[in-house]
Amino acid sequence: MSLYERLGGAPALESAVDDFYRRVLGDPRVADFFDDVDLDGQIAKQRAFLTLVTGGPAEYTGKDLRTGHAPLVKRGLTDHHVDVVIEHLGATLTELGAAPADVAEVAALAEGSRDDILGR
Amino acid sequence: MTSSGDELKAGDAVRGSLEIDGQVLSLRVGETVLEALERAGLEPASGCRSGSCCKCLLQGDNPPPESQKTLRSTLRQQGYFLACQARPTGQLVLQGTVRETAAVATRVVRTEVLAPQVIRLILEPRSELDYFPGQYVDVLGPDGAGRSYSLASLPSDGVLELHVRLIPGGRVSPWIHQLQVGDEVSVRGPYGQCFYLEGEPQRSLLLVGAGTGLAPLLGIARDALAHGHSGRIDLIQGGLRPDRLYLREELANLAAEHAALHVHACVLEGGSGSEHVGALNQVALDIAGPLKQTRSYLCGDPALVANLRRSLFLAGAPSQEILADAFTPARPDPNLPSQATTGDVVG
Repeated sequence: MSLYERLGGAPALESAVDDFYRRVLGDPRVADFFDDVDLDGQIAKQRAFLTLVTGGPAEYTGKDLRTGHAPLVKRGLTDHHVDVVIEHLGATLTELGAAPADVAEVAALAEGSRDDILGR
Repeated sequence: MTSSGDELKAGDAVRGSLEIDGQVLSLRVGETVLEALERAGLEPASGCRSGSCCKCLLQGDNPPPESQKTLRSTLRQQGYFLACQARPTGQLVLQGTVRETAAVATRVVRTEVLAPQVIRLILEPRSELDYFPGQYVDVLGPDGAGRSYSLASLPSDGVLELHVRLIPGGRVSPWIHQLQVGDEVSVRGPYGQCFYLEGEPQRSLLLVGAGTGLAPLLGIARDALAHGHSGRIDLIQGGLRPDRLYLREELANLAAEHAALHVHACVLEGGSGSEHVGALNQVALDIAGPLKQTRSYLCGDPALVANLRRSLFLAGAPSQEILADAFTPARPDPNLPSQATTGDVVG
């Protein structure tokens, strides 16, 4: 059973998505990369991201991650920012009741996307 | 290749079927609506096929609950569902995107100046038009071009109430502003998912709008009160200066009659003492208090709504409980130029 299912699937993810997006928008280290007038669109993206890193039905491919983040890389997205986001991801999952081992597993999954996100 | 796949066999009654524009398409066992539509060559929109991206959103009568569980409640109430998650066991009648909404003829019964450049237009539909207050209709101008206006009325009023700001040089609003009692007006709709939801009478409601964004909020507030809503309803009308605000006496009277309703005014400058002065998003946050259990309705120009939405979200409002209809000019004009048969094209 994937962490996605253990956490409660799509419904449980709904509040986690809000929590996660609020965290990154509230963090001046990364907020600029996430700010967008289209809140619903951003929420949908973060939902897809959380679904991917918790092992849910994936909607993103490595290629999508590359294309999607290319403009952000141009604007200066680096390893540092990815670290910050993974940190917020861990806090969100912990808040949702995920065990430390699960949080580590998610961080590892997110690590697997790091090169795609940074276009390397 | 087998040709027997689509035939309904005896004892196979649990298999669902789809009705699209009067045509019936039977589903294979375990097949989703999306797969069936694709098999029939209808090329429906799709994306992740796993219930996340919402690209395959369709509308139907009583879709399976599991195909609606990730949608916001306003969409669920209107029968929207995700085709990739829907495995109906009965007959599912598809609507909406498949059929074009017919225009409804109406007659002007009253016009009234509300504020500089803003009139209240009261229309009597010649045939029944059912809607949720706060939804919007497209008013079709003389050249067939449609412009969206929110409904401030309730269906039980028997007439439609729209608030129309004059846009100089516009294709529809100058024409609306010169309408006389008795004139004919065609409207199409309703559209939109910004309306009162039954079933949670205790919930706090926050209604924030600027300019003619007051129209849907008035409709939603009146609808909530008509449903006996007992939770606190804060309605905040924003405008640049006090002279841009309108219907203040009517709103005050409505609030005096209903303990649940509290009306507030907010201006950026020239406050006369009875308005909050400041940015609408900040004033809204001050008035609303904790937002975790609050459902918010926002209406106004897109930049204002985006700003409000972000402020409320960051202050703790769940993203699914912030309702607003985006009035983007990009929504396709339902009338092709070749179908416009009346009047001259407005410059």
